[in-house]
Amino acid sequence: MLELRKDIFADERDDNLKEIGKGTQRQDMLGHITGTSSYFNDHKLQGMLHLKVLRSTHAHAKLRRIDTTDAERSAGVRRIIRGADVPRNLNTLLSLINFGKDDEPSLAVDKVRYKGEPILAIVADSEREAFEAIAKVRVDYEPLPTVFDVEDALKLGAPVVNETYPKNAFIYHDVYDHQRLRFGDADAALATADHVLEQRYQMSPIEHAPTETNGAIAAPDTNGRYVVYTSTQALFFSVDTCAKILDVPSNTFHFIGGTVGGGFGGKVDTLTEPLAILGAMLTGRPVRYVFGREEEMQYGPPRGAERIYIKDGVMRDGRIVARKIRAYFDSGAYTRLSSYAAVKCAAHLPGPYTIPNVYGDVYCVFTNRTPATAMRGFGVTAMDFAIECQMDKLANLVGMDPMEFRILNAYRDGDMKAHRREAKNTALIECVQVAAEKAKWPIRDEFKRASSRKDGGGSRAVIPATPTDSRGRPAAPAQQRTTYDRAPVTATREPPREPPPSTPPPPPPRPAAPSHGATRFSSVFGTRRR
Amino acid sequence: MAVTVKTFASVGEAAGALSSDRSARYLGGGTLVMRALNEGDVSISTIVRAQDQALTRIDASGPRITLGAGVTFARVLAERDLAFLHTPAQSIGGPAVRNMGTVGGNLFAPNPYGDFTVALLALDATVAVQGGFGTRDIALEEFLQSRERQSGALVLSVSCTRPASAEAFRYRKIARIKPKGGSVITLAAHLPISGGRIAGARIALGSMAPTQIRARAAERALEGRSLDTATIAAAASAAVEGTSPSDNALGSAWYRREIVGVHLRRLLSGQE
Repeated sequence: MLELRKDIFADERDDNLKEIGKGTQRQDMLGHITGTSSYFNDHKLQGMLHLKVLRSTHAHAKLRRIDTTDAERSAGVRRIIRGADVPRNLNTLLSLINFGKDDEPSLAVDKVRYKGEPILAIVADSEREAFEAIAKVRVDYEPLPTVFDVEDALKLGAPVVNETYPKNAFIYHDVYDHQRLRFGDADAALATADHVLEQRYQMSPIEHAPTETNGAIAAPDTNGRYVVYTSTQALFFSVDTCAKILDVPSNTFHFIGGTVGGGFGGKVDTLTEPLAILGAMLTGRPVRYVFGREEEMQYGPPRGAERIYIKDGVMRDGRIVARKIRAYFDSGAYTRLSSYAAVKCAAHLPGPYTIPNVYGDVYCVFTNRTPATAMRGFGVTAMDFAIECQMDKLANLVGMDPMEFRILNAYRDGDMKAHRREAKNTALIECVQVAAEKAKWPIRDEFKRASSRKDGGGSRAVIPATPTDSRGRPAAPAQQRTTYDRAPVTATREPPREPPPSTPPPPPPRPAAPSHGATRFSSVFGTRRR
Repeated sequence: MAVTVKTFASVGEAAGALSSDRSARYLGGGTLVMRALNEGDVSISTIVRAQDQALTRIDASGPRITLGAGVTFARVLAERDLAFLHTPAQSIGGPAVRNMGTVGGNLFAPNPYGDFTVALLALDATVAVQGGFGTRDIALEEFLQSRERQSGALVLSVSCTRPASAEAFRYRKIARIKPKGGSVITLAAHLPISGGRIAGARIALGSMAPTQIRARAAERALEGRSLDTATIAAAASAAVEGTSPSDNALGSAWYRREIVGVHLRRLLSGQE
């Protein structure tokens, strides 16, 4: 049964719910079907100006000169915004939780790192006039060598995409150019396995393709504040991101959102709000900045591409004894959220199976491609696809039924997962059994009788001896701590812990009795106190 | 500068307005021009429209049919006498696009669009154009070759001969998203049979060159032969000759070259 920690989530759920089997009206449905839901773009404000950005036509180039002489004289132009006009023109989204270094300008300075990167913004009386002025800007580019392949980007001598990360890889725990997971001795187990299967999987970027494109309208309000109508999926996250970039307290803004015309992860990057607000600050007028469809498709951030290598050792009886994974997340030119996706991926390895020896290296790699971002289950979705493809291939290799093969290797309650958390409420075995039954897929009785609540734990709960390795531990520069903290947080925010592999940390303490302020696991920071 | 919309009662006036202004663009159903304007195409400053009823006329009673340039795909689909054009018309966009998109506009649709034009090209269609010096008829192939220079002219209608039998005309659009994705490639074949042999074979391809093109090598492989396995194989292997496809988000040039023969073979052999 699902255990709900009432000590922590006292108000999370009504214990008397009786919803299953009943039709329940979505709270926003009436507005949607009657066409009365209000989106950010439904606000037409008096004197509203329009902002458009000039985008790079090169994937990687130095900006030698930007000539705006003709654009400034173009009809209807109110203001041209350059990188130098942005108060803090370098940010990384997760700096709000002290994760990663500031690596992305709002408007490119000195060089562009992907095709479509914003170089300057023009605020004009109409969209048309903004477009006409954009067409009159002349940019003198000096093309630089490009890199579009994740493995090429990690090779010695590859073009440096983002100077913040000169090795083209996000740096974890100040030291590692990848997120790593070590559990047992995968190499030794592979050497003794009956079969070894190594496969390569390649995923493509996926665009969220929302019906409503990214956009925001910012307007000066009384008392020096700004009201911002926005399509953001992450309203408070966007408020803080704007406060940081524009270097003002976050209570300068009154963000109004709530109705998102399709997000799916593609509206957390806060791409339009900072420039719309800056436009309003510089002109004193309401400013609207909304992506066109082509901008959304081409330059809106997608789900990142991933390249995954899986090497498995399996015994003749179907037990998987080792799983070794190398994965490369294509972050594009900037971090956005891919660094976090790699952490999430490592924590998920080796999938919902109990494998005694697991080895994972997950790289977050910078290339001259459109920066990637969140999309439903990112960090796990592509890896799961690869793992399940691999499971079918392994079942075939040992001559087992793929459903039975999964039940045999499934994790069970009480097992130790590779990232050293005890497996609970696993239920994979039951899922497979139900799927087999529904699909009228015959499985043998012994597999029908299997249960995720039996035969777990015990020897399966032991953390195996794990050899240390120092590979991938270059002398990296110390990770920058962003100083952006508007509240005294030193007491509650801990820096990342020591890397997990060398000495397995003790299993997380389990509170004997419910108590407030219990420790809590964060996939970014490890165990921390609430 | 704002965009000016000029509406005229006759095609003559509209053609005059088009030819006198380089920044003028004719608005048919708007599926191309409005998209361009919304995406910030500043080369268009004037929109020209014509309310002439001649543009929306369908003449489908005889062996030679004529479609006014302003005829929408929804109207083609509603016309029983145009059954042979229903498959190509149905392959374009979704209902909203078919309600607005026109036969004339499709002649100007860049890759990966312009599927209806592929069908017309295989049917040896002619295009009636109103230029500065009156009306003239141009073979569609010739029209397409000079399409970039046609912006000052106004297309009035498209005509073609009805295929002799339903079997003689075949059409296939390869798309990744069904039913309304852009074309990976589009194929149309007109194969009139005379005495058991093909006479006047026409194969047209979309997305295999900057404009819709005829596959002449494949046509030669078919001409004067019966449509048997050997002939189909010969036509399929010649399909790629003379093509110059490009990479786009739907497929690479390499992929298009690889599959064009496969799909031509399936089209000619009636395989799904």
